[in-house]
Amino acid sequence: MKSFEFYEPTTLAEASRLFAEEHAQLLAGGTDIIIGMKAYTETPETVISLQKIPGLAGITTDGDSISIGAMTKVREVELSGDIQQHHTALAEGASEIGSIQIRNLATIGGNIAHASPAADTVAGLLVADAQVDIASADGERSVPIDELFTGPGQTVLTPGEIITRFRLPKPASGSHYIKHKIREVMDLAFIGVAAAVNLDNGTITDARIGLAAVAPTPIRATAAEDLLKGNAPTPALLEQAGETAAAGCSPISDLRCSAEHRREMVDVLTRRTLQYALERARA
Amino acid sequence: MSEYTVVGQTVARVDAVEKVTGAAQYGADIHPPGMLYGKIVRSKHAHANIRSIDTSEAEKLPGVRAIITQDDVPSGRRVFATDKVLYLGEPLAAVAATDPDIAEEAAERIKIDYEVLPVVQDVIEAIKPSAPRLHGDDTKDGPNRREISGQIRTLSRDKENDHSDEISKLEAELEAYPDEVYYNISAESHTEAGDVEKGFAASDVVVEDTYVIPRVHQTYMEPHVSVASADSSGKVTVWASTQGPFAIRSGIAGTLGIPLTQINVIGTTMGGGFGGRFGVIITHVPAVLLSQKTGRPVRVQMTREEEFTDGRPAPGCVIKLKTGATNDGQILAREALAFWDSGSVSGASIGSTIRVRGVYKIPNLKVDAYGVHTNKSGTAAYRAPGAPQAIFAGESQLDEIAERIGMDPVKFRLMNMREEGDAVPAGGSEPKVGYKETLEAVADAAGWWNREADENQGWGVAVGDWTNGCGPGGVYVSVHEDGSVRIFHGSMDITGTDTAISQIIAEILTVPYESVTIRRGDTDSAPYSTGSGGSVVTFTMGNTAKLAAEDAHRRILELASERLNTNVDDLELKDGAVHIISAEQPKSISLGELAAYSLSTTGGPIVGKGSFARQASTPALAAQIAKVEVDPGTGRTRVLKLVASQDVGFAINPMAVEGQIEGGTVQGYAWAMMEEMQYGEGGNINPGFVDYRVPTSADLPTVESVIVEVPAPNGPYGAKGVGEPPITPTLATMANAVKDAIGIRITELPIKPEKVVDALKSNGR
Repeated sequence: MKSFEFYEPTTLAEASRLFAEEHAQLLAGGTDIIIGMKAYTETPETVISLQKIPGLAGITTDGDSISIGAMTKVREVELSGDIQQHHTALAEGASEIGSIQIRNLATIGGNIAHASPAADTVAGLLVADAQVDIASADGERSVPIDELFTGPGQTVLTPGEIITRFRLPKPASGSHYIKHKIREVMDLAFIGVAAAVNLDNGTITDARIGLAAVAPTPIRATAAEDLLKGNAPTPALLEQAGETAAAGCSPISDLRCSAEHRREMVDVLTRRTLQYALERARA
Repeated sequence: MSEYTVVGQTVARVDAVEKVTGAAQYGADIHPPGMLYGKIVRSKHAHANIRSIDTSEAEKLPGVRAIITQDDVPSGRRVFATDKVLYLGEPLAAVAATDPDIAEEAAERIKIDYEVLPVVQDVIEAIKPSAPRLHGDDTKDGPNRREISGQIRTLSRDKENDHSDEISKLEAELEAYPDEVYYNISAESHTEAGDVEKGFAASDVVVEDTYVIPRVHQTYMEPHVSVASADSSGKVTVWASTQGPFAIRSGIAGTLGIPLTQINVIGTTMGGGFGGRFGVIITHVPAVLLSQKTGRPVRVQMTREEEFTDGRPAPGCVIKLKTGATNDGQILAREALAFWDSGSVSGASIGSTIRVRGVYKIPNLKVDAYGVHTNKSGTAAYRAPGAPQAIFAGESQLDEIAERIGMDPVKFRLMNMREEGDAVPAGGSEPKVGYKETLEAVADAAGWWNREADENQGWGVAVGDWTNGCGPGGVYVSVHEDGSVRIFHGSMDITGTDTAISQIIAEILTVPYESVTIRRGDTDSAPYSTGSGGSVVTFTMGNTAKLAAEDAHRRILELASERLNTNVDDLELKDGAVHIISAEQPKSISLGELAAYSLSTTGGPIVGKGSFARQASTPALAAQIAKVEVDPGTGRTRVLKLVASQDVGFAINPMAVEGQIEGGTVQGYAWAMMEEMQYGEGGNINPGFVDYRVPTSADLPTVESVIVEVPAPNGPYGAKGVGEPPITPTLATMANAVKDAIGIRITELPIKPEKVVDALKSNGR
C-alpha cells in the first residue's frame, strides 16, 4: 500500500473541502478502497474517512417514503423490516453483497459511489426510483439514481461532492432482485435484474426494471417497462418484456462470461424477476 | 465390536486445541529478531526476451538491504530468469528490505527491459508448427513417426544385412505422417497392452470424444512462506511451510551447493498442502540467498496473487478417448491420446493418463501422453496428481457406452470391474480390493436402485482409483516414569496423521490415547521422514510407529520379566501395566513403575525405535453418486445429494477419514463446476478469489460418506492412504449427473452456467 494522508473530519463541509483536492478518496466502509489500495490499483494521496461525521447513517421512515443514510451498513439495509417489506428488491440486493462480515462493514453509499455497473444494491435503488442527495461545501443537490452514473467507476459527482442519503418515494406493491452468479454466496454479479410493479385489478399500472452489469452503467429497461404498463401480465407479455430488455442492453464479454450470455440472462431473468414481483404485488 | 480400543475409534485430533485457539504457529507467525522482508521481482509479460535488468534506482531506496538476481546464485542453478521469461510472474530478482512496503516499492523500481514475444496458452495450439516455441529443442515426432523412425534406426544399425529396401519403404511411410509432429513437447509417456485395433473391430459400440480439463490451483489457505536465517558459520536455518522438510533440505543443498547438514529445515504448521507444498525454489531458495547476502533472517511470503501467477498448480489437459464395448456390456478396448499443459517447464503428471483404464478388465489398451509447454508457470501435484483428469474422461465415456447399450451405469461398471487375480491392463495382477463392495455401498446408501428424478433432475455415478505411496520414515517412542508416552518423529502432520500415529502407539502400548503426546523434530534432530504427500503418511508412519511401539513393547516385557522375576512368555501388557498371565499369583507392574525402574538398569530407558521404507501398497477405490438439478433457464446446477464411499482398508480414525472423503469430494465438485485458472495473452487473468471461485458451504449439501473396509495386507491394521482417492471420481460424477438431468454430455470443464445454456441451445432447447 502506498503511504497517504489520513483525515477524519467531523463535518460534511470539512470532508467536502478535503475531498475537493486532487488525488483524494473517501473512506466509508473500506471494503472496496482498501483492497484497491493494497493492490496498488488505488493510490490516493489523501484518504478522508466519513466515519466521524454524525447523521450520515440510519434508515428513517416518513409516511410512504424511506430515507437511507449513505453511511448505513449494507447489512442494516438487508435486515431492515421496512425495506424488506416495501423495497424487497433492495433488501435482496443488499443480502447478495459479499459475506456477512463484509456487509457489516460495507455501506450503501460506498456501494453506489464506487459506481460499479455490477453493484448489488443499484438495481434495487433503480426500481425504487431513488433520489440521491449530494452535499458539498457549496451546498446540496439531488439527482435521480438513473442519472447518477456516467460510466464504469464514473458519476456526475464533481470534486468535493459527497452522497449523503438515498430517498425512496412511495414504494411499488411488489419487487424482486435476481443475481446471476456461479457460487451460491459471495460471488460477483454476472448480471443483476430488479423489477418493481404496481398492479390494479389485474393490470400493471407501473413497472420498473433495473439492470446491473449489462452496460457501462446500471440501466433501466425503459422500453420493456413501457410494454408492461397498462397491460395484464400474461406469459406472452412477460416474455416480450424479457426480450425487449435484452435487446436494450449493451453488455461486454469478459472472463466471467460472454456478452451473448449476459444478454440471454437479461431475457430469462427479467421474466422471472417480473413474475416474482407480480406474485408479491398480488399477495 | 472392534478388537481394538484406540485404533478404529474417533478421537479428537492431537492438534485440535492449538488450531481452534490460534496457537498453532504457521510460517507467517515466525519472526526472528532483525528479520527483513523479501519480495520477488516478477516478469510482467508472459513471454519475452530480457534485454536488461537495472536495479540502481531500487538500491537507492532507504531500507533496502539486498537485491539479488541470477548473478548472485553461486551454484549457477536456475533460480531467476536471465535472458528470457516464459510466463507472467516468473521470478527475475528478489529484494530484502526492512519493511514489506519498502521491499514492494523497491521491486517496482527495478527496471526491466523486455522484448515481448508471441504467447501460446492452449496445448492444442502449442503443438502446432505455427506456435511460438518456448524452448529450442522440444520438438517430438508423433507416435507413428517415432515408431517408424525407431524401426529405421534398428534396421540401419544392422550392418550385417542389407535392409535398404525395407528402409526406403519405411521412409516413404514416414512421409505419410507429416501432421503428427508435435511441437513444444516437454515429455511423453506411452503404454500399450493387447491390440486396440482388434478390440475396436470386435466392438458393437465405439464411442470417441475429446475431454478438456482446466488447470486448477490447490488453493491451500496459507500461501507459500519461508523464513531463512544464515549465520556467520554458514549454517542455514529455514522455517518452511512445506509438506516435506527433508526434501526441502536436500533441494536447497542441491540448488545452492550447501552441505546437507549445514541446513536445518523446521517445518511450520501447514495451512493446507494438497501436493502443492513441495517446491524448493518458489520461496525457500530466495529467502536463503537473501539471508546469506544480508546476514539477517529474511521472510519471503507469497501473496494470493503470486500464488496464482507463480504457484505450481495442477495441470489442465486435453484427452482424446475412444472406448469399444460389446452389446452385452463387455469393454474390449480403450485408446487415449492426451496433451497435458505442463507450463514453462516439464513436470505435468502425464503418466497418470494410464488411469483411463480405471478398475476394469480392458483387454486392449493404448495410452499416449505428452506434456506440452505453454506460457504458464510449471505444475505440481494436486491430490492424486493426474487421476481426476484421466478418470473424468474415462468415467464420462463409460456412461455414454452404458447408455448406448441400454445398461444401468452401476451394473455396467460392476460387470467390468477387475477381481482378485485379474490382469491389470499393462500392470500385473489385481490384489484383493473392495471395488465392487465400494460401488455397491454407495449405490445402496444413495438409493440408486429406486432413484427418482423430477424434470431437469439427474443422477450420476463414477468411481476413481488411486494407490497410496510409501516412503522412508523413522519414529522413536519413549515411556516416561509417569507412564506417559512420548513420540518423536520428523513427518509433517497432514490430514490428522499425527493423531493416527498416536492412536497406533497407544493401542500397542495399551495406554489411553490421552497419555500419548507427539512431537515433530526438525531435520537436524528427527530421523529422516518422507514428505507428507501421496497419501503416504498413515501407511508409512503408521507402520513405522507400529514397529517403534513393538520395540518399546519388547523392552517393557524384558524389564517386567526382570522386575517380576518371571519368564517373558508368561507376561502380558494390558491396560498400561504388565501382568503375569497365569492368574494363580495375580501380580502386575505399571508402565510408569517400569519406566522408573528402567533408569537404573543395564539396558536403560524404554525407547522404541521404528524404521520403515518400502512395502507394496494396495489400490483404493472411491465411488460417488450425485443427484443434481439443472436450471435450464440460467444453466446453474444445484447439487441435491452427494454420497461418497471409499475402500479405506481400515479407518484408524473414522471421523478423520470421513473428513478426507468429504474434503476430496468437495474439491472434485469444485473442479467440475467452477474452478478454472484462466489465461489470456498476458498470462493468468483471474489471480484471486474473486474470479477464481472455490465453493462455500452454501453450494453443497452435506457429503454423505460411507466407509468400506477391505484391509490392505501391508497397511497398519489394514489401513490404506485415504487423502487422495476421494477427489478422483467427482469430476465425472458431476458431469454424468448433469448428462442424466438434461441429456447433454459436457466434455469441457468446468460446467459453468453459460456452457450449459449454450449446450441446451445447440440441442434445440
